[in-house]
Amino acid sequence: MTTLTTVAALIQEVIGEDWDLDDEITLESSFADDLELESIEFVALAEKMQASFGEGVDFVGWLSGKELDEIIALKVGDVVEFIDACRT
Amino acid sequence: MAEITVKGLNFHYQHLGKGRGDERLVVFLHGLVMDNLSSWYFTVANPVAQQAEVLLYDLRGHGKSDRPKGGYTVAEQIDDLIALLDALGLSDRPLELVGNSFGGLLATAFTLRHPERVRGLTLIDAQVHDEAWAEEMRSSLGLEGDDLKEAIATNFQHWIGRHSERKRNRLAKNAAELVYETSLVRDLGASPAPLTSEIANIQAPVRALYGENSDVRVRGEELAAMLKSCELTLHAGCTHSVLWEETTVVREAILAWTTRGLEEVREG
Repeated sequence: MTTLTTVAALIQEVIGEDWDLDDEITLESSFADDLELESIEFVALAEKMQASFGEGVDFVGWLSGKELDEIIALKVGDVVEFIDACRT
Repeated sequence: MAEITVKGLNFHYQHLGKGRGDERLVVFLHGLVMDNLSSWYFTVANPVAQQAEVLLYDLRGHGKSDRPKGGYTVAEQIDDLIALLDALGLSDRPLELVGNSFGGLLATAFTLRHPERVRGLTLIDAQVHDEAWAEEMRSSLGLEGDDLKEAIATNFQHWIGRHSERKRNRLAKNAAELVYETSLVRDLGASPAPLTSEIANIQAPVRALYGENSDVRVRGEELAAMLKSCELTLHAGCTHSVLWEETTVVREAILAWTTRGLEEVREG
């Protein structure tokens, strides 16, 4: 399973029954604008990714270096890239 | 999702920076109705968690915590935090409380109830509990329809305001359920306000940050006049949303205080 498929599955878990987007989740999907993740859902997603990818992927540290505007602009590809960089 | 059951309710919380800093625990308290722990998560909590242990949680009825029909008095909500700290094994930790808006009112009430547990208090455009606040709360939470949607867009302008009509409607529905289908407004309105003399007697250092153009700026000025231990800063051009408007400044101020606290502990 690629990092993208794992992240996409976690996003669908977080959105749960509200999932009504026909479009596939791609590296280009943005969390706020395309996936319409609520801020509280993004918190839940970060936690799920932490649990799934382990302590070696420090989301809290990564997010703490980002300004709010950068977080809002995040795309799925940014997260995938970060995870892959931590694991290599 | 990190959840814990206390008092028969599931509370969503985030416990970050475990083992960092001294024994202090920084607890973040969010605002009323259209707010939840994510306000802290995306602004201040993660950077603070790089140097101190941090707890943030969704107040009852908010975010991803359960939304019971009742139990929203100030006293009950203080009990929630105490029970949460007990359940997480954090009850012996000295607390640094950080409250935004209504969260500041709660942080102050907690300090009045348990002065021995609070080492410091940071209030961000905080409400102060008195009859005028109760009246204002009743009228502002009585919004309906488009007014309610507009209030949501204003409160979450940096994130949720970007959402589609469908999503905004859902958020408005959640807010409306909390306001109209629980006893929140009645319980808060019925909560006894502290005496001015009690607030004036708070010994813990208080840092207050308010927006220069905030409608509650006068509350910060009253606190500063009342409390010798209060250090007030007004932020130019900011409104009640100072946490969002000047995130970097608020974050740096909290980080500076956290660091100063650590140095005082080392020196002491």
